[in-house]
Amino acid sequence: MASFSIFRRVQLDAQTFGKFARFALVPLLTFGAAALVHAQQYPNTTFNYTTELNEITTHLWDRLLFWATVVFVIVGVGLLYIIFKFKARPGSPEPTHVHGNTALEIAWTAIPAVILAFIAVPTVKAIFLTQAKAPANALQVEVIGHQWWWEFRYPEYGITTANELYLPVGRPVNFALKTQDVLHSFWIPRLGGKRDLISNRTNYLWMTPRDSMALKSLNGSCNEFCGDSHGNMKFRTYTVTPEQFASWAAHQKGPAVYGAVTPKPAVTATPTVDSATTTTKSGQVGTQLANATPPAPVGFVFPREKIEAYNIPTRRPPATLTFTAGLTGDAERGRLVYSRSSCIGCHKITGNPSSAGVIGPNLTHIGSRYTIAGAIYENTTENLVRWIKNAPAMKAGSLMPAIGTGEYNPAIKAKVTMGGLSDQQIVDVATYLQALK
Amino acid sequence: MSTTATRTAGASHDDHGHHVHHTSTGLDNRKIGIWAFIGSECMLFVSLISTYLIYKGRSRVGPYPHEAWTDPATGTVYNAILNIPVTSFSTFVLLMSSLAMVLAHNAVVNRHVQRKGFWQQLEGNSVFWLISTAVLGIVFLMCQAYEFTSFVHEGLGLTTNLFSSSFFVLTGFHGAHVTAGVLWLVTLAFIDMKRGLTPDDALTVDMCALYWHFVDVVWIAIFVLLYLIK
Amino acid sequence: MATTVAQPTYAPAATSTTTTSYGKSGVWSWITTTDHKRIGVLYLFTSLFFFIFGGLEAAVIRAQLAAPNQTLVSAELYNQLFTMHGTTMVFLAIMPLSAAFFNFLIPLQIGARDVAFPRLNAFSYWVYLFGGIYITLPIFAGLAPNGGWFGYAPITTMAYNPGLNIDFWVLGLQILGISSLAAGFNFITTIINMRAPGMHLMRMPMFTWMSFVVQFLVVLAFPVITVALVFLQFDRFFGTNFYTLTAGADPLLWQHLFWIFGHPEVYILILPAFGLVSEVLPTFSRKPLFGYAVMVYSGILIGFLGFGVWAHHMFSVGMGPIADTVFSLTTMLNAIPTGVKIFNWMSTMWGGKIQFTTSMCFAVGLVAMFTIGGLSGVTHASPPTDLQQTDTYYVVAHFHYVLFGGSIMGIFAGIYHYFPKMFGRLMNETLGKWHFWINMIGMNLTFGPMHLSGLLGMPRRVFTYDANQGWDLFNMMSSIGTAIIIVSTLIFIYNFFTSLKSGPKAGRDPWGASTLEWSIPSPPPEYNFAVLPTVTSRYPLWDVSEGHDLSREHHESPEQADQRVPTARELNIPMPFSTAKPFMAALGLCMMLGGMTLKHVNDYAFYAVVGSGATMLVVSLYAWLTSPLEDFYTS
Repeated sequence: MASFSIFRRVQLDAQTFGKFARFALVPLLTFGAAALVHAQQYPNTTFNYTTELNEITTHLWDRLLFWATVVFVIVGVGLLYIIFKFKARPGSPEPTHVHGNTALEIAWTAIPAVILAFIAVPTVKAIFLTQAKAPANALQVEVIGHQWWWEFRYPEYGITTANELYLPVGRPVNFALKTQDVLHSFWIPRLGGKRDLISNRTNYLWMTPRDSMALKSLNGSCNEFCGDSHGNMKFRTYTVTPEQFASWAAHQKGPAVYGAVTPKPAVTATPTVDSATTTTKSGQVGTQLANATPPAPVGFVFPREKIEAYNIPTRRPPATLTFTAGLTGDAERGRLVYSRSSCIGCHKITGNPSSAGVIGPNLTHIGSRYTIAGAIYENTTENLVRWIKNAPAMKAGSLMPAIGTGEYNPAIKAKVTMGGLSDQQIVDVATYLQALK
Repeated sequence: MSTTATRTAGASHDDHGHHVHHTSTGLDNRKIGIWAFIGSECMLFVSLISTYLIYKGRSRVGPYPHEAWTDPATGTVYNAILNIPVTSFSTFVLLMSSLAMVLAHNAVVNRHVQRKGFWQQLEGNSVFWLISTAVLGIVFLMCQAYEFTSFVHEGLGLTTNLFSSSFFVLTGFHGAHVTAGVLWLVTLAFIDMKRGLTPDDALTVDMCALYWHFVDVVWIAIFVLLYLIK
Repeated sequence: MATTVAQPTYAPAATSTTTTSYGKSGVWSWITTTDHKRIGVLYLFTSLFFFIFGGLEAAVIRAQLAAPNQTLVSAELYNQLFTMHGTTMVFLAIMPLSAAFFNFLIPLQIGARDVAFPRLNAFSYWVYLFGGIYITLPIFAGLAPNGGWFGYAPITTMAYNPGLNIDFWVLGLQILGISSLAAGFNFITTIINMRAPGMHLMRMPMFTWMSFVVQFLVVLAFPVITVALVFLQFDRFFGTNFYTLTAGADPLLWQHLFWIFGHPEVYILILPAFGLVSEVLPTFSRKPLFGYAVMVYSGILIGFLGFGVWAHHMFSVGMGPIADTVFSLTTMLNAIPTGVKIFNWMSTMWGGKIQFTTSMCFAVGLVAMFTIGGLSGVTHASPPTDLQQTDTYYVVAHFHYVLFGGSIMGIFAGIYHYFPKMFGRLMNETLGKWHFWINMIGMNLTFGPMHLSGLLGMPRRVFTYDANQGWDLFNMMSSIGTAIIIVSTLIFIYNFFTSLKSGPKAGRDPWGASTLEWSIPSPPPEYNFAVLPTVTSRYPLWDVSEGHDLSREHHESPEQADQRVPTARELNIPMPFSTAKPFMAALGLCMMLGGMTLKHVNDYAFYAVVGSGATMLVVSLYAWLTSPLEDFYTS
């Protein structure tokens, strides 16, 4: 048993130590750095105190990390000690053949069991806390996953929107999670608590964004593999004050402001570029609303200046997807084209009686959204016209077909001819859609 | 089941193995192998039966196993689909086949016992018992074929609903196992007629018997869980 | 403790080697072989090939993800790549790499001349080879499986995946499952029934023990995935409703069935590596394994608990708090026997005289890396934190520490350790050390930062990601790490093949190891043991005279190494016939099952291929079962 004495002097071999230090350093740094992540410099970090839900999980994580670090240090230091201490050297004695030690073995069965109890008890508490029934006053939000975009419904307000989720701070929100097709998973890392969307089932997840979260814009994503464009299925969450939320909701209920504006023909040919987009690669497109100044939305819209860099998609349409330069759109012409095109088969616009489809995203207030196509592109004219022209080229497997005349439509394995739209018509439709504030 | 005879059988994989190898348990390798195989088969049927039970009562359209169903679109009334009397009969047949199997094994093992009179000779007639087992298996399969056909006539096809898919695949898998067993039995009977199975062949019969009893036991579980429990 | 003297009778009268059982050349001799050692070698080469292929798939994935918004591969191809990377590594690389050791080592370690069913063994290998080719080739046509290795319904159903991709996956996995099951029955029987006199269960070497546990896991877990795949196959080919949403199907059915298989599968992947390391650590510490009995029981317990933890893969599906609690606690429970193994390995080294051969480096590497994987595993055994971690790169980091840091490291330890026994030559130790250290750096650089990108919110299985998310650095690190792993693997391949050709002769026991396989020539003669050994201790080569460094005595002088080994015929030892029937049966089986894909292409081709496959299977099975296994004077 003498060989088990920890009092025997360690013969440190500096060179060997250097070798084996690498051994332990990388993972140690990894875990160490993981602890630093609380600093919130990362836009999608999973360590937050922004809701009661993630407070519970973050505390639990801290505890887990603590015990994991303790065990790791014990094993790591022990291993390093053994490596240096018992490395064969000239003249090392032949080892005694020890076959085991019952007391020791019982000890290292029992001690981990005790450590696990320290983890298990708070875990079980947290399970029941986080899966408790949602408070009665919670805002109900139906989340419906589609390949590959998100539909959000507020039954309390009769609102249906897509890919951009508004949540009031200070009020619990209860998500009812469903899917229209395959499995998806709903996750806003900064608010916490991923849940899967399971076909033929409804899952629930609730939390209360804290007041400190007012006017924050957060990323969300699908986390269950759902097919070709799984990586393209994102969304944004805007946490706003209750007043802002009420204003937004009141406006979203009704039709878009554009319906109230008398349309006139286009008056200018100057291409204007959306303020957020400074780079356009090919084919500058101009749009101009029918009236000289775009109609201001009546209700609250999340202010553009509060949108952070991490929210703004950096994806660009493929260079192969070209668009005629210098075209000017007309919203009213666009409305007419839209209302007679195949668009209406899938999309709904409240206030446009011909547009009542339910397969695609609801477009009633598309002009007040900052993103399109599952929040992977900015809602700029540049992107929107190309999206309408050939959605599958911009998003793998897109169920929205190519619509531009002459574009290849993978769904029918042929080029679009009948019912296709010309670039001019597409600009008009895009202008119309962007007027739907 | 007698295992003493198996000691003398060769350790090789087939009937012609002519060397007695040392084995750790004293049992033939094939005996251990068939038990491992049966253990594995248990998990197969457990999964199939569990699926049936999970999907029980979840079908969106009928016909249903234990209750009548009216198609809301056409107003057609479908009766409860399961025919308990027929299946009880086929279950009885399968149980009897296990008895015949035991007698077949017994006849092979005790081949050298002197037998007098018709009944004793019948008891020692392994060909008869092997064929009987196979025939009872075939009767069971015919009952199943009748059951499947009548279900289809009553409007329950493989693709009708969750119940039909899980029912047909489960019972179909079992039927396939019975079919394999019948082929095995017929082969043994054929060998028996040709050269006569001796106590040296006891293991060969024993393996078939183990398999056959296993298939029988699985059917008892299916009969209870699918047919008897509503 | 066991200090009894082993009877020296097992040492063959004549020593060492010029002829090897697989020295016979010619493709035909390999196709018809029933020698477990040759089959083991076939497994080793094939699975190393698939390991490299799966690694290249990973390399493309990492190249795509090195920076945001890259378009090296399309989203569709990316999905095929990650599906095939997982499928390849699990079913075509790690499992069969373990199988290579099962085949080669188990009969040698228990003192047997072959496995229980030599022809079934050959059949397992050929089914694996054909299944592997079948599931791998479609990627060159862009038709590779694309539903993830986990294939969650309903993404794999006709409604959402009408192409041939999933057909290849379903049928390929069915084929591979048959191979694993056949091997499972074979090795269970071998270990139970073929042990040499005196080789009690509690004297078996630890690798054989862990393999024994693994075979039970295979035999009990694979039927479940078979059923899940049968459902999917029937859904796709015959229109059943197991996963049909419109009929009211529950997608969780697949998930439960898959993970009841899938979690034991994790232990199927890791336990053989544990076994190999448990051979290597005592050998190079020059001490017996610490707490042998506890190591055995903890292995059994890990396997047993493996069937009770499956739903911890499903904490995010909404099973409710009670199920979450139960599965969380059973999962945490499993950390205890695993921890015991780690501590017992450390104690094995404690007080030893540790020689850091390459093999030993990899074994110690496993202990360190697996500890990290195990600890991160505990963090997602807790459902509330798992909800923040599941399906992010954190989980990718976790299981790569377990499977790369655990299984692969253990297998490398095994390869360096047993290469001399397999091929009679030593691998180059200098290159081996380079391989180890570069591999170690590359591995930690690849998978370490994934902990962070995951905890910082990066989802798994995305074909690209946006800039400004705080993930760029970690992804770049991971991609550079992958390049480093590739460098280390190239060193390994070079070392492997040059050593095969011109490495120094090994002799029968180059490491001074303790178990039976080291008492016979390297490579072993086809009959393994001229006289079946009688075993009286766990460490027969050490316990001959405890307290002395006996290993030296087992070493051979170079002159001895050139002595001729008598053939089986000379020793009058019956050997199994060489036969192509298992090969033909495997080919027929794979044509029959694999040909089903053609149902979605062309009816005539479907009937022709499936029909001829079935005929070939039946005919060769009949011929197989009615022909004798072995003969006295065949070799």
